[in-house]
Amino acid sequence: MRTRSLPISIGKAFAVAAILLWSLFPIAFIVMSSLKPGRDIFAVPPKYIFTPTFQHYASLWSEWGVFFNGLFNSTVITAGATVLAVTVSTCAGYVYSRNSSRFLNASVMFLIIVRLIPPIVVTLPLFPIINAMNLNDTHIVLMVLYATFFVSLGTVLMRTFIDQIPRELDEAAQIDGAGRLTILRRVIVPLAAPGILAVAVFVVVFAWNEYLFAFIFTATRAKTAPLVISEMIGSIDGVDWGILFAASTVQLAPVLLFVIFMNRYLVAGLTAGATKG
Amino acid sequence: MRTRSLSQLMPLIAPVHILILSVIVIPSLYVIWLSLGQSSFGQAQTFVGLQNYYNVLTDPAFRSALWNTVILVVVAVHVELAIGLGMALLFASGLPFRRFLLVAVLAPYAVSEVIAVVMWRFLFDPDAGPVTLVLKALGLPILDWSFEPTHAMILIALLTIWLHLPFTFIILYAARLAIPADLYEAARIDGATPFQSFRRVTMPLLGPAIIVALLFRYIFAFRIFSEVWLLTQGGPARSTEVVAVYLYQEAFSFNAFGTAAATAWIMVIVSLLLAAGYVFILRKQGAANAH
Amino acid sequence: MSDNFAKITRRGLLGTALGGAALLATRPSFAAGKTLNILSHKVHQTVLGTGDGDLLADWKKANDAELAFTTFDSNPLQDRLFREASLPSTDYGVGYIIDNRPTPDVAKLFAPLDDFLKSAPIENYEDIAPGLREAMTVGGKTIGIPVRHATGGLFYNEALLEEAGISAPPTTLEELIEQAGKLTFTAKDGTPVTGMIMASDLAVFPVSFARAYGGDYITKDFKLLPKPEAMEKALTVMADMFKAGALPRSYATTKNDDQVTWMQQGRAAFTMITFARYKQFNDPAQSKFPGKIKAVQFPKSQSYDGEMSAVTESWGMSIPANFADKELAWSYIREVSSPRVTLGMAKNGNGPVRVSTYADADFAAASPVAAAEAKALATARGAFPPFAEAARAQQLFLEDVQLAVLGRKTPAEAVESMAKRITPLLPA
Repeated sequence: MRTRSLPISIGKAFAVAAILLWSLFPIAFIVMSSLKPGRDIFAVPPKYIFTPTFQHYASLWSEWGVFFNGLFNSTVITAGATVLAVTVSTCAGYVYSRNSSRFLNASVMFLIIVRLIPPIVVTLPLFPIINAMNLNDTHIVLMVLYATFFVSLGTVLMRTFIDQIPRELDEAAQIDGAGRLTILRRVIVPLAAPGILAVAVFVVVFAWNEYLFAFIFTATRAKTAPLVISEMIGSIDGVDWGILFAASTVQLAPVLLFVIFMNRYLVAGLTAGATKG
Repeated sequence: MRTRSLSQLMPLIAPVHILILSVIVIPSLYVIWLSLGQSSFGQAQTFVGLQNYYNVLTDPAFRSALWNTVILVVVAVHVELAIGLGMALLFASGLPFRRFLLVAVLAPYAVSEVIAVVMWRFLFDPDAGPVTLVLKALGLPILDWSFEPTHAMILIALLTIWLHLPFTFIILYAARLAIPADLYEAARIDGATPFQSFRRVTMPLLGPAIIVALLFRYIFAFRIFSEVWLLTQGGPARSTEVVAVYLYQEAFSFNAFGTAAATAWIMVIVSLLLAAGYVFILRKQGAANAH
Repeated sequence: MSDNFAKITRRGLLGTALGGAALLATRPSFAAGKTLNILSHKVHQTVLGTGDGDLLADWKKANDAELAFTTFDSNPLQDRLFREASLPSTDYGVGYIIDNRPTPDVAKLFAPLDDFLKSAPIENYEDIAPGLREAMTVGGKTIGIPVRHATGGLFYNEALLEEAGISAPPTTLEELIEQAGKLTFTAKDGTPVTGMIMASDLAVFPVSFARAYGGDYITKDFKLLPKPEAMEKALTVMADMFKAGALPRSYATTKNDDQVTWMQQGRAAFTMITFARYKQFNDPAQSKFPGKIKAVQFPKSQSYDGEMSAVTESWGMSIPANFADKELAWSYIREVSSPRVTLGMAKNGNGPVRVSTYADADFAAASPVAAAEAKALATARGAFPPFAEAARAQQLFLEDVQLAVLGRKTPAEAVESMAKRITPLLPA
């Protein structure tokens, strides 16, 4: 490493501290506050040293059973949406990568244009359709909605990733007598795994956190965790901040760990998605 | 191999298109039909032509919502870009624990809008928020967001910047890493100062990435709903209302489906215009690069 | 085919977003034969009691039925209810409706209950306050049975009043304003106290102030601002209170819930809220001032010698016209409206709709504000009558009120803007 002058090093240290404070302090503060005894949450000045307690988690468990139902619903919906989005995007991305025609080019353009439609627009007419199919307040509605709003990006991403796999590999497999589905399964999927993981990260984060559709299309059975938390904010007896922080921590922890663990794929996906999609 | 007929490929691309057509495209077209009529609960639709569009566009509440959205988009997206660019250059200049710092910067990406609102509302609580207390201790003015509309807008902007900075940062950082190091080396040998090499090397080569990041964020920031809805519901006195909240109010508070649908299509058209600008600029750049 | 198309189109209009049809509750019960799905506010479920205190235990046994509540906040609830009732069929048998919602168009979505009232009458139906019954009658048809009313009273914190050297609650609006000014101080324990707290997203407050000067917002016969100078005066005093700090600085984002917590914590000395909150204000587990928060009728100005109507909001139980098993739904409504359940709910904090409930010794003992409440209810009236654009009108009204209180518009400008913007929304 090059030697740097002291002022620059100090400047950088400050910049790094500012970045860490900006990115992590809000998260850390919520997690910390969820462990504070109730009367310390609003203590002035804030207490940074205290005896941690799990009382808010205990109250959350005993008073907000519906939150844990919400977590369960979120898990089911996230898993379903991810599998659906990844599967259809990989199939379509494979076709778009390996073939070219005027029709296919036009249909890729179409996929990109569709991303411009704000989701709130379709909330207006979807209710009667969903009702006619008797799917109100079910997991499947949110799975399909979440997957659909990511398949266009997913397809374009998968095409980009599959483009990097040499065509000779599928041709060799074809000579060995493999059909298209076999090539997809045996050759493409293993080699395009980073792309698949990148798409999966997007869908998981979106589906786990989404608010607007969940707010509009669920009532009781399929209510997701973010929705339950938003109800806690406006709960009838005023906000119980301790329980709210505990619930926020429980909702946040898994997806935060997931993003940390998968950060390489997230970066790869963001980069490829922004330039191509 | 290249001449596979379309019918053979259909089964693989059909699922994507069926999903998109049935969930996004057809419902959106149906919204056009809704936007040409007037209806509410227990009331059949009557055809009113473009009256709803006229009503929305002349409604002072819509204009103020549009104005708020534009201000929010312009301010938040550009501040976000400036911070993201600064961070990308800082990272590229070499930092210890870079991987750890990168993960730290990405962390807000994992946070739900709902949780983010909980966090920032608490941080800036006018009585006991830790940030409020620090500002007070330093003798600085606090964010009086429950009273001052501009302060409420600042809080919404901070919140949305915090949530989306990881996206902007990664795009710019990746683009910066793609610039070959020997270009800087050459500039240095030519006697360029760091600022000159930033202006002559970094900026031109980052240009496309900056435009991509900007336009993506324009289009997505234009839809902003949850942050505003959960934080202020558009108040005080509708002064922080944005277009998506206006749409929600028309549809769900006033049950005026015609004007809500017209608002929806106005949103679609604005998004398409923004994207057309994006394509136009990229084309022009492509042409410029070809010379 | 054309029929079918018409149907789909119609649903599309109604169309939109909130989904419906919860076939099962969150925790379905497998013991009972039938389930009655109910759309309500959380509070309607709470006042029916649980466990040993379940007021409907016998009814459930007799009908071999379980109740499944889907609860929402007031506005989303009404939206969901109308949406459900607009569909070809719904699983919700009973929906709770607010008295200012049933316009003639909306009323069509609900089953007329007059035949049920004849074939299986409600016990001592005449006992239910006539004003409340009238609010649920649209075009001569009964579409809802009153179940709860929320009539506003003036609550005050006796301990804080004493601390400021005030011996009796106000009897005129002028006294209220003066006392609220005095009570904007720092209490002995160091808590900063604000004279009065009121939510800024409800019409109740400006309407009460205007009525105290003999004015109103919209009368029963759709006259807007019948005495504009009274509204102007009301906005002037509210703006003055805000300027003096006697209303919280966060006025523009204050909600109903904030009123409760501020009063419980002694951060505000006065508020106006439904009498039924008495219990919650004085609950030792939640309140720092148990037994010290009392209520009187909202006072009128000494300059006005007419009668002043308190603002009330009432709820009725209705049956969506598209629900199949109307007998079961009616049986539930009958049971909940009975004198026994009405009394039981009142003891759980429900505003009782029956006049006889107030005469009950047990209830009077449990709720010291019962007498004041009964008196206020006698002449109480909704903040505004139902009409198609009522929600939009209320929003415009509140926007001008907020701007006037915050000092961004003069009261005169606000009143002028109300007249200009709301008049076109009134029914012809």
